[in-house]
Amino acid sequence: MRKVRLSALPLLAMLLALAASPASAAQKLLVDLSADEIAITTGFTGTELLLFGTKEERGDVVVVVRGPVSDAVVRRRERFAGVWVNGESVVFRGVPAYYRVASNRPLEDIAAPGLLAANGIAAGTIDLAGATDVPAAQRVAFRDGLIRNKTRQGLYGYDPRGVAIQGNRLFRTTAIFPANVPTGPYRVNVYLFDRGKLAAHRESTLVVRKVGLGADVFSFAHRQAALYGVIAIVVAVAAGWFAGVVFRR
Amino acid sequence: MQIYLPIAEVSVNVAWLLGLGGGVGFLSGLFGVGGGFLMTPLLIFIGIPPAVAVATEANQVVAASVSGALAHWRRRNVDIKMGLVLLAGGFVGSSLGVWLFTLLRGIGQIDFVISVSYVVFLGIIGVLMVVESVRAWQRQRNPAAPRRRLHQHYWVHGLPLKMRFRTSKLYISALLPFSIGLFVGVLAAIMGVGGGFVLVPAMIYLLGMPTSIVVGTSLFQIVFVTANVTLLQAINNQTVDIILALFLLIGGVIGAQIGARVSGRLRGEQLRILLGLIVLAVCLRVGWGLVATPEDMFALGVPGGRE
Repeated sequence: MRKVRLSALPLLAMLLALAASPASAAQKLLVDLSADEIAITTGFTGTELLLFGTKEERGDVVVVVRGPVSDAVVRRRERFAGVWVNGESVVFRGVPAYYRVASNRPLEDIAAPGLLAANGIAAGTIDLAGATDVPAAQRVAFRDGLIRNKTRQGLYGYDPRGVAIQGNRLFRTTAIFPANVPTGPYRVNVYLFDRGKLAAHRESTLVVRKVGLGADVFSFAHRQAALYGVIAIVVAVAAGWFAGVVFRR
Repeated sequence: MQIYLPIAEVSVNVAWLLGLGGGVGFLSGLFGVGGGFLMTPLLIFIGIPPAVAVATEANQVVAASVSGALAHWRRRNVDIKMGLVLLAGGFVGSSLGVWLFTLLRGIGQIDFVISVSYVVFLGIIGVLMVVESVRAWQRQRNPAAPRRRLHQHYWVHGLPLKMRFRTSKLYISALLPFSIGLFVGVLAAIMGVGGGFVLVPAMIYLLGMPTSIVVGTSLFQIVFVTANVTLLQAINNQTVDIILALFLLIGGVIGAQIGARVSGRLRGEQLRILLGLIVLAVCLRVGWGLVATPEDMFALGVPGGRE
């Protein structure tokens, strides 16, 4: 974390210089990230990413970080003979694995819900139409359940005071990536709203991937599953045999 | 120190893993049990996904039982013929079990089935252990109390396909050990255990094998059945976490040696009562997870059984 902040300093200085120069007047919104890759190493316990930039004097900043999309299954817990089992389920298509929104003030004060939704801001915009099997009225409860679960895992979140603005020109925010962060391509969208209208938009990308031993083990386990299984057995047999020899009385 | 487990995809404390391995290893050394039936629920309690806990524990049981099986092999305490018949059933059962596991995972019911299996088996075994040890303890203090007969004849002795097992001094139907092996194989796949806690009593009371060769023969079967489970889980579900298994193994090996050394100095019957109580405690904890009202009425699942 400390390393990330340090490396961000020269960039921050550069942005400051840009903000002060007259040339930047043309640029409504400039954004940079403290890193464009999050490496999940063996010692990974989650990390924070610093996002900063400059903007026009007026306007509100909304930052949306979105993880890779996939299908998500939500199951309702039902009581069956005294115990709780997984009952009815709904599959949602194109659900982001990670979704965090931060803004400098509450979203409802920044722009109309329709405009926010059109830009994919707010977790409530998960596509209900893609859900199958249950009536529309019930899908909302399942979607809320999905968002609640993801929020509890630290993968979804909304921070209405997460973007700090300094001197009306500079802004910064930190995105939190917990230890269970899903791997894949991430999109970071920064929106500038001026009096309820979209004034500027910048998109950058970010990759979360496993590196080192953990990454090798994971890809090996998935690409050569049978060989991986054999090696797991050989390692276990060798360890057991070794222990037997060492501790033989 | 935290470590990120590549297959489980969670970050856990190394000290926890070593402690867990050591603690369960200590108990297994102390009581001469495999320990899988304690380890799997404990792994789930610390946040390892149940599917990974079960598959990885099967892998660890391979290691834990190899050294025991070798020791018994050297002392010729293994009925190889009986072991092979049990193993044939075990292969069929564990393959069936992994297939069932994959199916249940796909329809989102695997966590429930794992929990129920644990409550049922830990409950039965725990109660039997406590009752049996209390009786034995009383018998020690009162030697006049009636003993139970060892070799009894049941309807099972009338089954076809009779086979002679010289080492066990038995002439019984091969179907009997085959079905016991099959049943234990299914358990091994779904619960991530060796199944010694079912196999050993079944061999003594159902087959009537001499106690001296029961443990060696059961370990012989467990090594191969858990190896089969490891392989099939790796192929079908990619849920075997080698890194997790290694840490549990290191703790387990050391714990088991300490446990084995301590066990000589403690009294057997009280020890078994204690183990029975530990088993019942874990059973209650797993059972509580089934009956307690969940904090959220909705849960996330794994689409199509794959992550």
